[in-house]
Amino acid sequence: MTPILEITNLHASIDGTEILKGINLTIQPGEVHAVMGPNGSGKSTLASVLAGREEYTVTEGTVVFHGHDLLDMSPEDRAREGLFLAFQYPVEIPGVSTANFLKSAVNAQRAHRGLSPLEPAEFLALMKERMALVEMNPAFLQRSLNEGFSGGEKKRNEIFQMAMLEPTLAILDETDSGLDIDALRIVANGVNAQRTPHNGMIVITHYQRLLNYIVPDVVHVLWNGRIVRTGGKDLALTLEERGYDWIKTESSVEA
Amino acid sequence: MSVSAFTERIRSLAQHHDTAASEDAYAALRRHGFSAFERLSIPTPRHEEWKYTNVTSIFDGTLVIGATDAAQRPATSGAEITRALGADVIVLHVQNGRLQQDEHSVIEGVDLYDLRAGATTDDLQFLASIAKVDDHPFVALNTAVHDSTVVIHLHRNVHLERPIHVVCSADTTTSTQLHAPRVLVVAESGSSALIVESHHTVGEHAAVCVPVTEVVVQAGAHLQHVKIVADEGQGKHVGYTAATVARDATYASHVACLAGAFTRNDLVVQLIEPSASAILNGVSVLHGSEMADNHTVVDHRAPHCRSEELYKGVYDDRSVGVFNGKIFVQPHAQKTEAYQSSHALLLSDRARMNAKPQLEIWADDVKCSHGATTGQLNEEAVFYMQARGIDRAAAKALMTYAFAAEVVERFPHEGLRSLLEQHIAQKLEVSR
Ligand SMILES: Nc1ncnc2c1ncn2[C@@H]1O[C@H](COP(=O)(O)OP(=O)(O)O)[C@@H](O)[C@H]1O
Ligand SMILES: [Mg+2]
Repeated sequence: MTPILEITNLHASIDGTEILKGINLTIQPGEVHAVMGPNGSGKSTLASVLAGREEYTVTEGTVVFHGHDLLDMSPEDRAREGLFLAFQYPVEIPGVSTANFLKSAVNAQRAHRGLSPLEPAEFLALMKERMALVEMNPAFLQRSLNEGFSGGEKKRNEIFQMAMLEPTLAILDETDSGLDIDALRIVANGVNAQRTPHNGMIVITHYQRLLNYIVPDVVHVLWNGRIVRTGGKDLALTLEERGYDWIKTESSVEA
Repeated sequence: MSVSAFTERIRSLAQHHDTAASEDAYAALRRHGFSAFERLSIPTPRHEEWKYTNVTSIFDGTLVIGATDAAQRPATSGAEITRALGADVIVLHVQNGRLQQDEHSVIEGVDLYDLRAGATTDDLQFLASIAKVDDHPFVALNTAVHDSTVVIHLHRNVHLERPIHVVCSADTTTSTQLHAPRVLVVAESGSSALIVESHHTVGEHAAVCVPVTEVVVQAGAHLQHVKIVADEGQGKHVGYTAATVARDATYASHVACLAGAFTRNDLVVQLIEPSASAILNGVSVLHGSEMADNHTVVDHRAPHCRSEELYKGVYDDRSVGVFNGKIFVQPHAQKTEAYQSSHALLLSDRARMNAKPQLEIWADDVKCSHGATTGQLNEEAVFYMQARGIDRAAAKALMTYAFAAEVVERFPHEGLRSLLEQHIAQKLEVSR
């Protein structure tokens, strides 16, 4: 089976500072990988490099996505090929309605795959169906994207967009941050509904809490730009109990 | 050729008119215009009000002044706007400064006619009563050289359902043109109407348009006034609009600069009686080396009046925007509410914007605010859209369009709004 994603010895820097220092990570179809780690360890940097943010320079290593060189693609092509990043901080876009934005996004993806644009009625029905997954009110469709949305609404909107774009690889960057327990459950349910044997997910989180709801197959600990531990879902529980200091101490001894 | 050659041409025209002098009030007004223009002349950039907009370069002695007989009406110019205004639109063609209609018509309680020398209507009293000949060089110039005045007079309590489209165009097929359309709108008490003024040029030679529009909005009247400068031709535009707004009346101005090498709009609105209100909306979408300068004045001269102003501009390539917005609140104009905001979006490193809000408030019990921003597209937002599969150019176009559309949404008339939106989308290459 071809992996969805294969990251080999990935080094990346920003403004001359190396942040990722040799990441190796392979995701097989159907797998959910959690990436945990203390603040500043490079989790968002990894997500940004995968999504194609230009500020970062990849200095070494390869990333293969469905057999293609991911690093060679523009951010929009990565998205059209099935990569999705749920932003840690979703951006407000004044004047562009959620519906219009999604129409542009979905139709760009369809055009890329040689499909004709969806009919307006068909599209509206699809949006309403997918919003229901995260219990979002259809009134949001006419509002400017993320503008004036609460923290929780923004995160639900990310998962709604994911449901519309049906990615083969979703990267969720701290989708749990700023959510109360009810919102967390709603968001997690929305994500779980999208798990299939064919797609993969990278769930980035600082806390173990989210992983009670989205149960990962593999847990990685990222620290100082490297994956310093990999284990099963129990690793998340150990981290919850012992904190990250335990890992830091052991890793610096190893390093 | 230079400004002095141009001024010399105007002077010789004035002498010609002097010998033909009559006691007619209209002729006297034109002579007044000539003498005021001689004194004021074409302003240089040393003049504070003309600092960023060098008009001296567009007036030269080769401009043909006052030729009114060309009159091949351009087939397409303005026709699109007319069509957008619907089947019942009333169209007034002003060709090279003269209304293409001889008879005085009355449509649904509205007088429409050309006010010329020899005329004796009561509307003469309003002429040059609002646009002050002695204060502004281009009001003086227009007054000096204009052919006649298009009068739109709404009688008391007339609610005109049919929009009026005033199509001002110049035909420069055979020569250059200086043309000076002049419009007088009188909205008597309790009346309402929508008047759309648009400016166009056809022909290979240069045209300079120096229009003056005066608007009298009497008690309780509501007037919507749209001005569109969308000149794809050789036309340059230095326009002046002035309005007075009486008790409980509203004047809403909507200005769109969608094309044109050189556009200057002066807009002066005076709120002269209690509870008058003014709305000023403006949108500019420019590229290449286009230029648009909007100077607005809102003068609160009475208590309990309200004004709300929103100007937005999108500037690509080497285009230039200027916004100067003055708000005066006179000492006795208590309980004034005056709001102004102007926002510019620069799409290129070479595009420029000069924005200057100017508030002079002499009353103490007022609510006033102003805000001016000049910025670029939010790169974070562009990336967010790319990360959803929208390509970079489309993402930028979508955001830019949304920025400009906020103003267009405030324009009156559904058909007109969708036409303007379509124009802007085309110019920004938004796929819709
Ligand atoms: N422009 C920059 N120049 C140098 N260092 C940066 C820059 N931007 C981010 N960093 C650093 O990169 C590290 C990783 O950040 P990030 O990937 O956001 O961590 P995480 O998501 O794990 O909290 C942090 O130490 C941060 O300070
Ligand atoms: Mg982060």
